[in-house]
Formats: sequence, structure tokens, C-alpha cells
Amino acid sequence: MNTFRKFYTENKERLFGYLLRKTGNYHLAADIMQESFTRYLERYKDRDQSPALLFTISRNLLYDHARKNRYDASYEEEQHGSELDQENAYSIKEEYKRVLRAIQQLDDEAQDILALAVSSGLSYREIADMTGNSEANIKVKIHRSRVKLKKILQQDQL
Amino acid sequence: MKDYLISMFVDNELNLDEKIEFVETVHKNKPFKDETVELLDQEKLLQSSMVTAMPEVRTPVYRTEKTGLFRLMFTPIAGFATAMTLVAAFFLLRPAPVISPGELQHRFVIYNPDVSKTEIVGDFTRWNPVPLEKVGDSGYWSVTLKLEAGEYRYSYLIDNNRQIADPTVLTHEQDDFGGKNSIIKVTTAI
Repeated sequence: MNTFRKFYTENKERLFGYLLRKTGNYHLAADIMQESFTRYLERYKDRDQSPALLFTISRNLLYDHARKNRYDASYEEEQHGSELDQENAYSIKEEYKRVLRAIQQLDDEAQDILALAVSSGLSYREIADMTGNSEANIKVKIHRSRVKLKKILQQDQL
Repeated sequence: MKDYLISMFVDNELNLDEKIEFVETVHKNKPFKDETVELLDQEKLLQSSMVTAMPEVRTPVYRTEKTGLFRLMFTPIAGFATAMTLVAAFFLLRPAPVISPGELQHRFVIYNPDVSKTEIVGDFTRWNPVPLEKVGDSGYWSVTLKLEAGEYRYSYLIDNNRQIADPTVLTHEQDDFGGKNSIIKVTTAI
């Protein structure tokens, strides 16, 4: 049990960091983090601890969430537009909102790969396995995502 | 040109050959160097924690099916244990001798006669369990740890499955796992 506690302490900020960058939404990230640890604990607590598995669970939960909400896109937009933005306003430091908004403008895959590279502490090998890429491929994709983000941030400043 | 070496550099993924290639390219190629610096600056933004506070998470780690029954059985024992530990503390806890400036010994004692294992977990053990030893047949368990002066959070782990705060310490807080941690301040012994 206490090994789980250590695992939790070591991965909490990383996982939240990934989810926040991927979603740009503090409360959604918090909910999915909670659900990820709960599922991990329910199903895999007796296995060797694996951050990669934890992140895989989180990614799947994110996709489930996105799929469920696709049918209700207008509702989501409303939510994002008003309430959630307001809640984010209190929880996210001012100077980083611009960065989070810029990440949201990347395509899904670039967002995901960049958020993993920046926050997860996982190796390129692990990120490649998780996202179904080769290791040679992931190097290029991670770098392209960074460069794309740089362009968005620069345009944003003009 | 292998632009992606920049990201591999940022993410500490370069092997030695790639490091040579990277350094030589930075040296020879100014746009490559500028791009590296710009992306490092961007990375400082990207990797910041970004939030004013981490969200609270309640993960039901210590809740088992038996909890309700355990708690019921445990309550009178806890009261008794508290009383006994206070008595014990009176006799057993003498001011700890100072080892070196800043480093102190702190003795942790708990009365737990009917268990086969008692461990302590705290920020000073990086949340790794450290076993307490039985004090003869008295039912007491104790361990002496070297700590620097400061504030610490900890709890006891009983028989690998029950976490309790130190009954002799009044200050405690809820942790993220639905359990309680005791908070102590270790200061220089008088």
C-alpha cells in the first residue's frame, strides 16, 4: 500500500501536468487524474508499478470523455466558453494561460505527444509504444510539435 | 539537418554520438543554435507547474471492505492505546541527545500489543515504511530516527494494512488517501 503511496506522490504532478496541457482545463484534468488513480488502484495495484500504464489509463479516459461529448458538442462549447473558463481563471496562473491556449490550437496528436514529452517523465521509447509510433518517428513528431507551438506563440504575440 | 536533435537535447534523449553531432551543429550553424535557445526558453514556460494549487485528490487507498468493522473494534483500543502511550511517553520519552548540530534523535513509541508488525511512514522516510521494534513483551513498539530540526508528517502502518495517526500527537491532517497524518515539530533538545 505504501509503495502505491510513493508511486502516487511521484506521479501526481506529472499526470496532472500532462492532463492540464492536453485539455487546457483545470477541472477536467483534476477529474481525470482522480479517476485514473482510482482505476489504477482497483485493477493493477498488485502489479509492478508502471507510470506508462497510469498514463495509458488516463489517455483512454480522455478519449472516452471526448467521444461522449462529441454528441453534445454545443453543450461542451458553451461550458468551455463560460463556466469552465471562469473556474480556470482562478486556478491557472495568468502568464501560462496564453501557453495553454496555444497548445489547444495544435492538432490532437501533436497536443498529446507534446504534453507527454513535456510532463510525463516517460522516455521516448515509452511514449512511442503508448502512441503507436516507432522510436525514430516519435523523435521527429515531438520536435515538430514543439516547432508548431513556437509558431503559434509567435503569431499570438503579433 | 537533424532538427529533432534539439528536442532530444531538451528531453535528455541524446546518446554520446548524437551529443557530438549536436554540439558540433550548434557550433557551426547559427540558426540551429538560435532555434535551440528559443525552444529552451519555450520549454521553461511549458514545464512550469502553471497552476496556483494542485487539485485535491481522494484516492481510496486505505479503505478496505473490513474498514467499518475494523474501526468499531479499533475505537476502544485506540482510546486505551492513547492513554497507555501517554503514560509510556512520560517514562520513555526523555529529551533526545543531540548528535551533531542540526541533527536530532527522535524516538517514536506506540502501544500496540496485539499486532505482529508496526511500521512508520513519513516524509522523513520518503514514505517508505520503516519497521518499529518490539520493546520486550510490553506491547510497545519503538524506533529512534535521526532527524534534522523541522516539521514532519507521518503515520503508523499496522500489519501492512491499517494506517493510523500517532495517538499521542494532537496535530494531524487529512492526507490525499482518506487517512490521517500526525504533524510534529522537532526542535533542539533542551
